[in-house]
Amino acid sequence: MFKVELLTRDGASIAFEADATQTLLEAAERASVYPPSSCREGGCGVCRVTKVSGDAELLSCSSAALSEKERAAGDILLCRSRARSDLQLTATFDQTAIGSAPEPVRTARIVEIAPQGSTTLRLVLQYSDDPTFGQAAQFVAGQYAELAVPGAPIKRSYSLANTPNWDGLLEFLIRIQPGGAFSGYLRETATAGAELIVHGPKGQFTLDESALAPRWFVAGGTGLAPALSMLRQMAEFADPHPCRLFFGVNRVEELFALDAIEALRAGLPQLQATVCVWKPEVAWSGFAGTPSEALAKSLKEEGPRPDLYVCGPPALIAATNSVAAAAGIAQDRIFSEKFSPAEGPVEKSTEPPGRRHLWPGVIVG
Amino acid sequence: MFCYQCEQTFRSDEGAGCAGTKGMCGKDAATADLQDVLLHVCEGLGQYLHHARALGATDAEGDRFLLFAFFTTLTNVNFNAARFVQLIAEAARLRDRARALYERAARAAAKIPENLPGAAVFVPASDMNGLLAQAGEAAIRKDAAIVGEDVIGLRSLVLYGLKGVCAYAHHARVLGEERPEIYAAVEHALDLLAREPKDIEPLLEEALALGRANFVAMEALDAANTGAFGTPQPTQVRVTPVKGKAILVSGHDLKDLHEILEATKDKGINVYTHGELLPAHAYPKLKAYPHLAGNYGGAWQDQQKEFADFPGPIVMTSNCLIEPQARYRGRIFTAGPVGWAGLRHIAEGDFSQVVQAALALPGFPEDVEEKTITIGFGRTAVLGVADKVIEAVKAGQIRHFFLVGGCDGAAPGRNYYSDFADEAPDDTVILTIGCGKYRFNKHDFGTIGELPRLLDMGQCNDAYSALVVATKLAEAFGVGVNELPLSLIVSWFEQKAAAVLLTLLALGVRNVRLGPTLPAFLTPALVNVLVEKFGIQPIGEAKADIAAALARAA
Repeated sequence: MFKVELLTRDGASIAFEADATQTLLEAAERASVYPPSSCREGGCGVCRVTKVSGDAELLSCSSAALSEKERAAGDILLCRSRARSDLQLTATFDQTAIGSAPEPVRTARIVEIAPQGSTTLRLVLQYSDDPTFGQAAQFVAGQYAELAVPGAPIKRSYSLANTPNWDGLLEFLIRIQPGGAFSGYLRETATAGAELIVHGPKGQFTLDESALAPRWFVAGGTGLAPALSMLRQMAEFADPHPCRLFFGVNRVEELFALDAIEALRAGLPQLQATVCVWKPEVAWSGFAGTPSEALAKSLKEEGPRPDLYVCGPPALIAATNSVAAAAGIAQDRIFSEKFSPAEGPVEKSTEPPGRRHLWPGVIVG
Repeated sequence: MFCYQCEQTFRSDEGAGCAGTKGMCGKDAATADLQDVLLHVCEGLGQYLHHARALGATDAEGDRFLLFAFFTTLTNVNFNAARFVQLIAEAARLRDRARALYERAARAAAKIPENLPGAAVFVPASDMNGLLAQAGEAAIRKDAAIVGEDVIGLRSLVLYGLKGVCAYAHHARVLGEERPEIYAAVEHALDLLAREPKDIEPLLEEALALGRANFVAMEALDAANTGAFGTPQPTQVRVTPVKGKAILVSGHDLKDLHEILEATKDKGINVYTHGELLPAHAYPKLKAYPHLAGNYGGAWQDQQKEFADFPGPIVMTSNCLIEPQARYRGRIFTAGPVGWAGLRHIAEGDFSQVVQAALALPGFPEDVEEKTITIGFGRTAVLGVADKVIEAVKAGQIRHFFLVGGCDGAAPGRNYYSDFADEAPDDTVILTIGCGKYRFNKHDFGTIGELPRLLDMGQCNDAYSALVVATKLAEAFGVGVNELPLSLIVSWFEQKAAAVLLTLLALGVRNVRLGPTLPAFLTPALVNVLVEKFGIQPIGEAKADIAAALARAA
């Protein structure tokens, strides 16, 4: 057996043993240590860590999950690596991201499925009562869950748009992808009462609760879901942080959840929301452009630099990073989660090592 | 940040105090700095209230706010920086109102209002960054280079003792018990601190005055608890779970526990106490609820594992909160002065969400074999058998009483207290208060005649009960408390314990053994003063300390 030491970003040392036949992720879980992970097949990069000392055999994995440059820097994936000696590893996540119990797998039933705008569906599930977890929907605002169709090889991850609750409700905003397998299921098969399997909650794209800076949310398309979840929680908790939302779609007919944004103001009076349409072909009195362009405009105003919470397609993340850098926002104050089409490989991280809360596993479609 | 108010503060050869980005308790620098600013604005509020009171004018809202605000700054109570910004604004509003009150009262008395110095004229910034920039003006050590470490140490003793007084007085107030002399003492101490005293003697006098005020606060709390819930009775408490939905209530607040019991009545939910709420089971009006099912877990420092394993919601009603872990972060609620950013908070006693959570969470799947412990030996129960106790002492059946009481903690060295209890000879009685008892309260100490050798007198909040028992026994034996066959072995952790220690000193109790370490804010010179005046000693080795206590009493 080899000794493995995982040093978290906040300085905690987690130790477990691994033999040469099991992956580091399997070894950790055997020791009741559950690091963040998603696909478990080397495809998403969620379990990426950096090797400081020792030898590990890296099995095949997607270049999107682990680039050549990252491999050269000593990065490995826990789900695709086996120990060949004692190992010292460093993680980009905090100790609190490491679970001490297996990820919940629960059943839920569809209670609502309804179109929102021309390309989006609002899906509401209700957990079944469970001897281990009860009825409650426990997660952290901003997290996502993986949904699977029983008996079918369809499994997709979506961010939760609502807040933790005792009624067991899970709300998702899902972009319908032409030709997408899960999209096809939702459009053609799914009805109220149908059962789904829910894996999770997962992810670390959550509020930095101890931070004092204003919180600005930049959301592209259904990247609104985690922002909505975090903002709704702020409203529930009467959180006094100044906050802004920059939410954008490509065309006016794609707009959705405007009523939800408006409703937020009741509990979160300090919220300033900017709804953006990139290509408004019809009369549009709101911001014409992308959320990152609206962000750039607002960052020119005087005031303390905000923390940025960004969710959307890779192009939006990249554009927002550029805007933020130009405005002097430190890299470690940008929290992002990107998504990409289901059938394609998950986009690789372009952010530097140490970036917080980068979870590229959320897939739309 | 700089903070050394509790026993676990960082210590090194260079000195003691948490001064990094995070304290040993998990308090971050911004929260620590904002707490300093809040206390500084409260000093200004206290100054005006003190001067107004001298002219016969009082402001109940200002006084009550002082208790609450100070309580939020105790160790392991409130870690929510944003909350402190709100509290500072509220303190400033009340201070301005108190100034107007004072000026009106002065004019009514045909006097020219005094221009008060220091905190009275401090203007807190309107935003977070501005407040953080002001923290230096409010820091306890701001003029250490001028006044010296002894003065800083004594100011700290007064400030931290004051925090304890405020916490006890707040607990009493929420149950409707208030004493004008407590408010007067709080205001007096704040007025003194705001004047930035540079002499030792007035600070020592103030510390003892606070000790006396704390005795009144503890008396008020005792009256509040017994008035609301009856007189504690010896009671067996189940310490293993029973099957069913469950809520865990931790902290010290009996009123919150009562409201939760009311909210869960006939709903099929069992309520468990945790930590310092264990003594609640001894109160007749609380134990009458059949769904007050038992006590779960041990002292506060074990909460992260215990809360994670508990299959229902958790309510933290007062100190001592540790950083909530991911496994239970979504189902822990804070109440009253307690806070942590990102947790659900119950400000107005509406526990309906907690009930919802309990019904939605799984609860205990099955009964665990029943185990019980006995508690409830408050002053009434002990004094009810005083004649037997006195007889047993006179007959030589009871050689000595040890009060092994106070806080528990995570730092090494606290096994001393369990060692002490276990090593205490069979002809001695162990009285205990506070959560330090969790180290030994499941041990079997046997009985002396019909009297259990271990008598649990309650929370740290019940120190009054122990003092009344000591005083009554002294009267019965016709001696002073210091002549009783009684030794006090006190484990301190935070500011309530500091207040109780001041009370003991103010009442003339000598030879208290204190540990596991002495307060970091007491300089060697100040410790010498306490040793000379009050015989305070640090704990040593349990067997040797027992022998020394018995030898002195012989």
